[in-house]
Amino acid sequence: MKMAAWVTLGIALLLPCAGWAQADFAAKQPSVKILNVESLPLQKGKAASVKLTFRVAPGFHVNSNHPNSEMLIPTVLKLDPPTDLSLGNIQYPDGQQLSFPFAPDEKLSVYTGDFAVSATARTVGSIRVGTYRVHGELKYQACDDHACYPPKSVPVAFDVNVANPPKAPKHNPAQSPNVHN
Amino acid sequence: MKKSVAILGFSIVVIAVMLFIGSNIARKHQAEARRIGALLPGQVIGRQAPDFTLTTVDGKTLKLSDLRGKAVVLNFWATWCSPCRVEIPWFVDFQKQYGAQGLQIVGISEDEGGKDKVAQFVKEMGLNYDVAVDDASVYMKYGDVEDLPTTFYIDRDGKIVQFAMGLLDRSEIEHNMKVALAQ
Repeated sequence: MKMAAWVTLGIALLLPCAGWAQADFAAKQPSVKILNVESLPLQKGKAASVKLTFRVAPGFHVNSNHPNSEMLIPTVLKLDPPTDLSLGNIQYPDGQQLSFPFAPDEKLSVYTGDFAVSATARTVGSIRVGTYRVHGELKYQACDDHACYPPKSVPVAFDVNVANPPKAPKHNPAQSPNVHN
Repeated sequence: MKKSVAILGFSIVVIAVMLFIGSNIARKHQAEARRIGALLPGQVIGRQAPDFTLTTVDGKTLKLSDLRGKAVVLNFWATWCSPCRVEIPWFVDFQKQYGAQGLQIVGISEDEGGKDKVAQFVKEMGLNYDVAVDDASVYMKYGDVEDLPTTFYIDRDGKIVQFAMGLLDRSEIEHNMKVALAQ
């Protein structure tokens, strides 16, 4: 047997063992993750909107920001911007009104699959040009078709690139109607 | 040839590290579980139910071992858990129906933030069995209960005869209770 075949066989035999060793811990992974966030360009003195997209693992749902019962724990984004940056006007999507096997006659307002939350960033005071890291977390409480899981949070971080506003175009001086050669 | 040997060697090292870390963490978890007398995965049925003492929402002391001689349905739940709210009225019915035969249902709430909210829920839903808020120790003793509801069926000698993670049908719950009562 060629060496490449031995390599493949060795990996194929050992990998399930390694996976098994990790399995106990993989099972408790949060069921929501944030997808890639791009840096937010922001001009001094202006506002810009950042969109954060989250993915709920297949088979799970989380309550929307406005669940249908006050007993249920809403999904909430909390952002902690650095000084001289403000982040507010957090906008959540409407929840999907779905029924689940545990209560087929009841509609719950939930997020499944991908959902996006947006926030508005503004500069405050005399902020310097540069890149600012914003940290935060999305708090959620997930369930599947048969059980619910304790509230958890997923960390959120993205960069805001603060730049000076573009310089106003210079006005051309009045042109002489005479041609100077 | 040399490249293949290098790949094999690297793969073996990576896998060995994964195995080592995984088994080491698992060993620590098991040692901690043994230290607090907790249940271990795969070793639940037939084990003595770990004892605990909590205060119920109406101020009584609840000690599991004091219920020896009764069949106990130990139900982990929370007010924010929709499937839990489905089965609670069933438990109310079962407590009425089987209480005289020696059934005792015990609710352990995993709500955080004090017992007032739970006490209000208990009153509104008309729960007729003991309910206590976990002090973050009981769920650990029962194997780090994360899925809610999770229910343990304990016989009159304090042994676990069945358990279920997630919501079951009413008939399945009743069957498990009867098994616990019959032991």
